[in-house]
Amino acid sequence: MTKFYSRDVLENLMAFALAVFLTSIFLLLLGVSPWSAFVAILEGSILGLDNLSRVLVITSIMSLSAFALIVTFSCNMWNIGVEGQMMLGSIGAVFVARSLIGDTLLAIPLMIIVSMLFGGIFGLICGLLKTKGSVHEIFAGLGLDFVAAGLIVYLVIGPWKKEGIASTSGTDIIPEMSWFPHLFDFKFPVIPILLFGSMYLILRFIYSKTSLGLKLKSVGSNTNAFSRLGLSPDMYILLGFLIAGAVVGLAGAIQVGSIYHKLVPYISGGYGFLGILIALVSGRKLFIAIVVSAFFACLVVGGSTLQIKLGLHASLPGIIQASIVLFWLMIKASSIHIKLINAVSKSYGHS
Amino acid sequence: MAIVEVEIILAAIISMSAPLVLAVVGETISERVGIVNLSLEGSLLITAMIGFAVASITGSVLLGFIAAALLGGIIALLICFANITLYINMIAVGFTLTILLGKLSSYLGQPFVRIPGPYVPQIEVPWLDEIPIIGKAVIDQNVVVWLSIASIIIAWWFLYKTKSGLALNAVGENPYSADARGINVKFIKYFYGTLGGAIVGMAGASFSLHSIYGWSNGHTLNYGWICLAIVIFGGWNPVRGAIGAYAFGGLQIMALKLQGVIFGLSQVLPLIPFPLMIMSLILIQYSQDKQFIPNRVRSILFGNQPEHLGNTFKRR
Repeated sequence: MTKFYSRDVLENLMAFALAVFLTSIFLLLLGVSPWSAFVAILEGSILGLDNLSRVLVITSIMSLSAFALIVTFSCNMWNIGVEGQMMLGSIGAVFVARSLIGDTLLAIPLMIIVSMLFGGIFGLICGLLKTKGSVHEIFAGLGLDFVAAGLIVYLVIGPWKKEGIASTSGTDIIPEMSWFPHLFDFKFPVIPILLFGSMYLILRFIYSKTSLGLKLKSVGSNTNAFSRLGLSPDMYILLGFLIAGAVVGLAGAIQVGSIYHKLVPYISGGYGFLGILIALVSGRKLFIAIVVSAFFACLVVGGSTLQIKLGLHASLPGIIQASIVLFWLMIKASSIHIKLINAVSKSYGHS
Repeated sequence: MAIVEVEIILAAIISMSAPLVLAVVGETISERVGIVNLSLEGSLLITAMIGFAVASITGSVLLGFIAAALLGGIIALLICFANITLYINMIAVGFTLTILLGKLSSYLGQPFVRIPGPYVPQIEVPWLDEIPIIGKAVIDQNVVVWLSIASIIIAWWFLYKTKSGLALNAVGENPYSADARGINVKFIKYFYGTLGGAIVGMAGASFSLHSIYGWSNGHTLNYGWICLAIVIFGGWNPVRGAIGAYAFGGLQIMALKLQGVIFGLSQVLPLIPFPLMIMSLILIQYSQDKQFIPNRVRSILFGNQPEHLGNTFKRR
């Protein structure tokens, strides 16, 4: 057999196919034709430059959130605080855009740097609560998500309120110099793609070529052995949270620069939480996370077509995403897909 | 303040907090046995929807409650099955379910958005309601409120005063030694995990049939997360958790009264439990290092996290 048909790939494809199959049955139970739903989603996401551009932007946001999870997963830590870290990234970006720099060429580079900084610091707080305060990272992360949400509400109705009347609909629009530009006429979102592409390469490099990556992985697999080697597990856990926060902070900058152009409450829009699902499905592999993100982004963008064409509810994409993930987890754990492959290969006489 | 005014405010707080109290008690029971039902946000939404839907179709509030409790139990059973039998991380399953159920509730609930429907009727008890303060605040309420108050007392008595409660706690603290003692760990986890979920289901129904009548998109938004925070704030003790829920209810009533005075209070209010949750978690850990605090005082003052909370039990 060639390398492409390696057992691993085959198993994952089988599990994915099964998950989609079960999700289709679930959709039938809900009274939705899975075929027309999937076709409408595909049409609504890939056809048309506007839609494609949106798919690419959302893919970037989702991939960055999934990366943030993959980094902390490698230290065996959950990062439920992604939503909050993304919100802090948005706050950082809006902070730069609202300042004097916002109307200059420096705006975009600084927005990117400050959003990483804000997100990273917020990630670090979660890590500190875990290592110094012994607070379980799931509860710490969840709490910090709401703290960040509160911070945005405070900023929007307080210090950064709209000229004239304060409302929860958001701050004033930021200057156009700080909007992320589209390339050429076909709305190619160059900056989001550059951001998640470079993060992918950097993280790949860290995990495959540097001792830092190895240490991040080993602190997760055996903390005891790690400290016996004279290394501080706490330090690497903190580092993991710092990196994760900085990575997903970029997603917050994209929300501001490419989508909203202002600060709105719950600006993360649940993409951080979706990133958790993506990281779970992608087996903590960076590249697969991008592929899954692209698929999920198609579901999000195509979902609006569903609404118009088939008159279906806006919640359908979320239902499809979450049920695919749920079935995937169940299939993987029960290894039905492996049994199925074995049964098929046996009946065809392969080894 | 006149005594009548105190009575009215107290009655409003106790009535408004009833669903949250039920949810906190349910989640406390599952977490004490080691099962984190992280699907709470989604569970509350969908059980609130189903409770209202069934009640308005059949016209029977009781059937609405039964349906919601069954559904809540089934959801928790699914988490138990995934974790106890398939050894999947319960956080992963719970989290996925949160998103799935939340979206499902708005999909399936479409026909029921903002329609009038049945609700739990108020019951006036003659004579007894003339007892000062308690009469109006506790007695002159409805079945849901009585149920929520009863659930606190029963849960406390069961967890701390009965042999079965001891077994439940043993499994949550150290399933391996409980297993060695001959306790059927898997059965106990399944049973109390599901029971907790069923109580959460009733909490969902009491949102839509009692405290926030009817159904709309995201009807119980954020209450699930708030409940998770309050369970921790309560130190995994049903009585303390209930006090947390009542305190939150008090804040809500206060926010309603002060809405005109302080702008944005209603937006910030749902976020208040979370910093408190983090602080109480820090306090719990801090107190654990201090040997001079007697264990009994520690568990009352700071609460006690079940040692095996959120971990998967796999016999070695």
